[in-house]
Amino acid sequence: MKSKYIIVTLLVLSSLAFGYSESAVWSDNLIDNILGYDKQGSLHLGQYFTILQSTYFKPLFLGVLLGVPAVFLLHYLVIGPMIFSHDRKKIYVFTLFHRIIHSIAGISFILIIPTGLIMMFATTFGGGEFVRVCKEIHAISTLLFIVSIVPMFFMWLRWMFLHWDDIKWLMIVGGYLNKDKKPVPAGRFNAGQKTWYWLATLGGFVMIFTGGAMYFQDFRFDILNTYQISQIDFLRASAILHNVLGLAIVALFFVHIYMAVFAIKGAIHSMINGYKEEEEVEILHSSYYKELKEKGEV
Amino acid sequence: MSEDARLKFYCDEHRCISCDGCSVACAEAHELPANINRRKVVTMNEGILGLEYSLSIACMHCTDAPCEQVCPTDCFYIREDGIVLHDKEKCIGCAYCLYACPFGAPQFPTDGAFGIKGVMDKCTMCAGGPEETNSHEERELYGQNRIAEGKVPVCAAMCSTKALLVGDSEEISAIYRERVLSVGHGAKTQPYGWSTAYGSKV
Repeated sequence: MKSKYIIVTLLVLSSLAFGYSESAVWSDNLIDNILGYDKQGSLHLGQYFTILQSTYFKPLFLGVLLGVPAVFLLHYLVIGPMIFSHDRKKIYVFTLFHRIIHSIAGISFILIIPTGLIMMFATTFGGGEFVRVCKEIHAISTLLFIVSIVPMFFMWLRWMFLHWDDIKWLMIVGGYLNKDKKPVPAGRFNAGQKTWYWLATLGGFVMIFTGGAMYFQDFRFDILNTYQISQIDFLRASAILHNVLGLAIVALFFVHIYMAVFAIKGAIHSMINGYKEEEEVEILHSSYYKELKEKGEV
Repeated sequence: MSEDARLKFYCDEHRCISCDGCSVACAEAHELPANINRRKVVTMNEGILGLEYSLSIACMHCTDAPCEQVCPTDCFYIREDGIVLHDKEKCIGCAYCLYACPFGAPQFPTDGAFGIKGVMDKCTMCAGGPEETNSHEERELYGQNRIAEGKVPVCAAMCSTKALLVGDSEEISAIYRERVLSVGHGAKTQPYGWSTAYGSKV
């Protein structure tokens, strides 16, 4: 069932790449592409892209790159990590399948995010062969992400819908602003994890789609003709979306790493061996703990 | 040519006969691969009587070149005479310049077995690249360097109707002004012939 989705996704992407040979950018469509830049009634994406890329994207990414870790360092020093007892029972939360899929996604992220940032700050790295190799790694490791995104979407979907707990969780910022061990309102996944899930799956799909468009560049995508969007305008929209979403994904990726590695001591082990500490579940996922208790599983 | 000259292209659409001589000359002179069109002739309002005209477009060597502003590797540089060039050794082929360009000028050759796009290629106004002038490397990467030899870019040199002009922007506009004053301006109502070329008094 799941492999079917993977095959369909790969087919869609490969048809984008190899479907047609006549250039969609420079052949008969060249005039439409030129007029799309600033003709009356056009989307003016050429100007927007130029302004965003020349002035805003780099400082924004730099802000996230420095700002998010700075906030966490402050949090670590002022409030400090949550430490839960590792002596009580352990609760099995992630099956082997969950862990394998998560690992594939994790590896792809570890490859994609730094190479993407290197492309963003290519001047600093001097451009040339090194950045070109990073660009290819950025593209090739997307295949790993494609393989993991579909099963990841479906395997956690049923726990990811909005719940009252999430609003309460957001009001107290997940209880991370103090060290009290008060039960935090959250089900199996808390509001932060849910945000990350939706950003990584749906946002990830948009990233694959827009990134694929920019990578293959010269393909025919009939729906664009229907809406009279020129090929370059579509690429411009892709670049803008890819950068804006990328900004959010990089920020939340840092949050994810910080939470797993530093903020909650030992939390990363649940993704390695599948078990969470009972106390950790009791405090950070109190609704889920109650549910388990009612079922008599703890 | 004065000290503060800015070299520009201008295509006089009242003279362009869409012969494609410029793009053929360009491809031939620089030995461009088959799918690279540094210069291209387009026809606007095709089929609309009285409004149809053709013109030749390539990199327009913008004063405030947007490609130069968006390039993540900062591989573009604008010469003192206004020619916009780029360094292919630095270019990573991200195509951001294509998204920023109002003229669709940047070209990307397919490179390697998987049809991956290679580094960008565009009109250099026959001025080569950052490599040593008239070196083998420069010729391989960017084509001829005619500017260094004091020659006019090959497209304009080859233009049979002298529609495509290149040179100091002020001189180009002076030539164009003179043309407009002598033969008029606006949609042409009849094909150019003897009277346009040599005047009506024979």
